[in-house]
Amino acid sequence: MNLSKYLKLWWKMTTMVSQNAFASRFGAILFIIGKLIRFSFFMFFLLVITSRTQAIVGYTIWEVILFYITFNLVDSLAQFFLREVYRFRSYVIRGDFDYFLTKPMPVLFRLLFGGSDALDIPILLLSIIFIFISFTHLSSITFLSILIYFALLINGLIIALSFHIFVLSIGILTSEVDNTLWLYRDLTQMGRFPVDIYQNPLRSIITFVIPVGIMVTFPAKAAIGLLSPNLILISIFVSITLLYLNLKFWNFSLKRYSSASS
Amino acid sequence: MRKYFLIAKNTWDETLTYRVSFIMWRVRNTIQLLTIYFLWLVVLSGNKTILGYDQPAMLTYILGTSLLDAIVLSSRSYAVGEEINSGNLMNFLLRPINYFKYWLAKDVGDKAMNVVFSLIEISLIFIILKPPLFFQTNLFYIFLFIFSAFLAFFIYFFINFLLGLVGFWSPEIWAPRFIFITILGFFSGSLFPLDILPKAIFSILKFLPFTYLLYFPLKIYLGQLAFSEVLQGLIISSLWVFGMYYLVKIVWKKGLKTYAAYGK
Repeated sequence: MNLSKYLKLWWKMTTMVSQNAFASRFGAILFIIGKLIRFSFFMFFLLVITSRTQAIVGYTIWEVILFYITFNLVDSLAQFFLREVYRFRSYVIRGDFDYFLTKPMPVLFRLLFGGSDALDIPILLLSIIFIFISFTHLSSITFLSILIYFALLINGLIIALSFHIFVLSIGILTSEVDNTLWLYRDLTQMGRFPVDIYQNPLRSIITFVIPVGIMVTFPAKAAIGLLSPNLILISIFVSITLLYLNLKFWNFSLKRYSSASS
Repeated sequence: MRKYFLIAKNTWDETLTYRVSFIMWRVRNTIQLLTIYFLWLVVLSGNKTILGYDQPAMLTYILGTSLLDAIVLSSRSYAVGEEINSGNLMNFLLRPINYFKYWLAKDVGDKAMNVVFSLIEISLIFIILKPPLFFQTNLFYIFLFIFSAFLAFFIYFFINFLLGLVGFWSPEIWAPRFIFITILGFFSGSLFPLDILPKAIFSILKFLPFTYLLYFPLKIYLGQLAFSEVLQGLIISSLWVFGMYYLVKIVWKKGLKTYAAYGK
């Protein structure tokens, strides 16, 4: 299958899922409002702290905001594109997963990109706007650092993708999805602040072992000009290795799927 | 009374049945707690203070929110709306059981388990990270802290129950709860003490119930409130308890009149 066919499939599945999400307009609007409130409140919280302290671990207000927005963008993009993973457990339990396996569509693609969440679009747009506003307030920003920022953002998304493949693989082996997924969400939320706030060994663990730091902190550090070329190369190496290992793990898990529910 | 004790005990046992889920839930709580803990640790490093909060006071506050969260905010009564929507409520209406007390007992069972785990987590943090903490030695403040936490317990129970009653009129019970949780997460004071907010905002918050769930009891524990402020806070908390209680009763009665037990 070529890329355009994948895009068509994704679009078709996303429109269907979106129609479902907007079946209750009242609920959909409340969810969007809730997400916007959460975003605004946290920004306000950061403003309050930095207004009282001038800086957090040496970062100015706009740098702290850039860290938060970068986390928010990676998190929201992962939720937007990979929302289907949240439904995986019910697919396994109800036997729908067996049905997916018989379809002429790569099953991993179906499980990862089987319907994007339209309710995340407003928060995505808001994050993108705030990223550019933050850039205009950074004195050290250059065209090159913006390019590296977006390259590392894609790198972060690859790590997020790898985590979701890992969750699916664990889901096949144990039927356990929700706890692993929420644990991932809580670990990534540690990246709402620069990882420099954490003491070692925790800082090293969430930078390299559970690479939340690489995923959400490194792009912002690159934009500020605090990331060495070595660390940029290491972060690319980590994301590619993670993706490779998790694809291997997915194949391993799939071979052990016992179709218990059907 | 014995039957409600058994319901609480069953809830405790239920939690132990799904051990992995519960432990993962506590691990997630600890991760969130550590994030905020480390943030405040660096913000107030080197003898810095923010509006009267030094490092020991702030870290006591943040770790205290974890324990108080277990006492006040952990609950099972969020499932009331689902029970109404699924028609399961009918099973309870036919039984010789008080529906409010049933959920209150379930909440108590859930809170007991969460409190035990929260105490273990805080002890581990204390042993491993050795944070500078403030220990209240004045028994009067400790008594007032416990009393305000008791009021907070009921405020949250009634608000939670009230949100569940939305199920009588709408199948959309999670969206309003999502907004409520978002607002609660910010205005209950679990991220920071509310009095660091600008004065104009804080003076409005003083009259809202969220302030009395975590922030107010912890401020009493820290001994940072004058007696008149404590008294004012306890009066407002009590008014919220009674106000919410009567509101829940009224909404419950109205809801029952519209209830068609669909789903069963």
